[in-house]
Amino acid sequence: MIDLENLGEMELDVLKELGNIGAGHAATSLSQLLDKDVFISVPEVKVGEIKYIFNDFIPDIVAGVIIALQDLEENRSGYLYIMFPEESSRKIASNLFGLEELDEEMYESTIMEVGNILSSSFCDASADFMDIILLPSPPSFALDVPTAVVDSVVSQMARESNHIILFETALSSDSDIEIYFALLPESGLFDEIMKMMELL
Amino acid sequence: MNVTILFTWNENGKAIFLTERNVLVKSYCSLSNTCSFQDCFQSCDMTNAAKGYLVDTTSNPSIVTLDGELSAGIGEYKIGKNVLLKAMGLGSCVGVVLSDVSTGICGIAHVLLPGASNNGETKYAETAIEKMLEDMIKLGARKSKISAKFAGGSQVFKHMNLEILKIGNRNARSVEETLINKNIPILAKDVGGDVGRNVIFNPVDGSMIVKYTKGEVLWL
Repeated sequence: MIDLENLGEMELDVLKELGNIGAGHAATSLSQLLDKDVFISVPEVKVGEIKYIFNDFIPDIVAGVIIALQDLEENRSGYLYIMFPEESSRKIASNLFGLEELDEEMYESTIMEVGNILSSSFCDASADFMDIILLPSPPSFALDVPTAVVDSVVSQMARESNHIILFETALSSDSDIEIYFALLPESGLFDEIMKMMELL
Repeated sequence: MNVTILFTWNENGKAIFLTERNVLVKSYCSLSNTCSFQDCFQSCDMTNAAKGYLVDTTSNPSIVTLDGELSAGIGEYKIGKNVLLKAMGLGSCVGVVLSDVSTGICGIAHVLLPGASNNGETKYAETAIEKMLEDMIKLGARKSKISAKFAGGSQVFKHMNLEILKIGNRNARSVEETLINKNIPILAKDVGGDVGRNVIFNPVDGSMIVKYTKGEVLWL
């Protein structure tokens, strides 16, 4: 297993690039879905101890969608965590339906579906770029502060490691929609990425 | 930065005020669920008392200052004396408070996983409680005087397709079992549900403040 604490510049760059390409594809999907221009921010890769890494997450309530990623042999590769700040998620949903008011059920399943579409394009991109197969699970949905949503996933990962890699990219559109993406890779996926790199 | 934390009370309720450069920036009030003021910085008896104290520290006998605050990150614990203890953004995690009222020594653990660790990692409930207890005793707390309060272990997912996300109730159960095994009396708990929590402990009167992420506040 790779020691996450001692990642070099090169390794971080590859992770960043994976995040970039994945988020780029997701942005294209979002743009088609909303029929609007979508911008992506330069991704940030954070490697840190679990206890500190979530300190700087936004403190407001988000619609959080969590998708587990598997490889072809059904090994868990990691998790995608997509955060929609509440205002943005309402905008996206009402935009898609062309309605101002949506009932809660509709709203929730719409955001889950958007999460689904974004995660699929993210996974496609990483398959194209790195030849790594990532199969997304059906999404799980919660409305709460970002740490409360993600801590059950973190607890799963914490059984193996005290460190976590998180990368954050924000997608935004001219109508002030913001979406944050985080990929939490398990060590298996990480090993695969590093194997890929050695072949380059 | 000039941060002061005040605790004040009157016959109706109690409140904690966080102040920065002599301005009230945040409050936790036991009356906030029934209070007619939305933002808590309107003039009520307690805010007036706090503001008065910031101007003249001798103005009010029913105000106590705390020596800062400590926040336990995911999987760690913090102990201290006369400090405000916090565990923020708890979903499936549990915030466990141990306190010895006789000496004022108290601690908070932010528990991530149920059960015990075989190499001393404090993200596990049993290990965290054991280590925190040891540290508190080293600092001078008396085992026979220590009592516990805890909150957390919710299940925030409305639509769930991953079984592994159901860890909240296991965390809460593991915390409770550990406390019972150690003969630590449980004075209050607030577990389960589907909303995340922030847990804050006020060592002055031994109350645990549970602030739900969606606004509601409990003083236990």
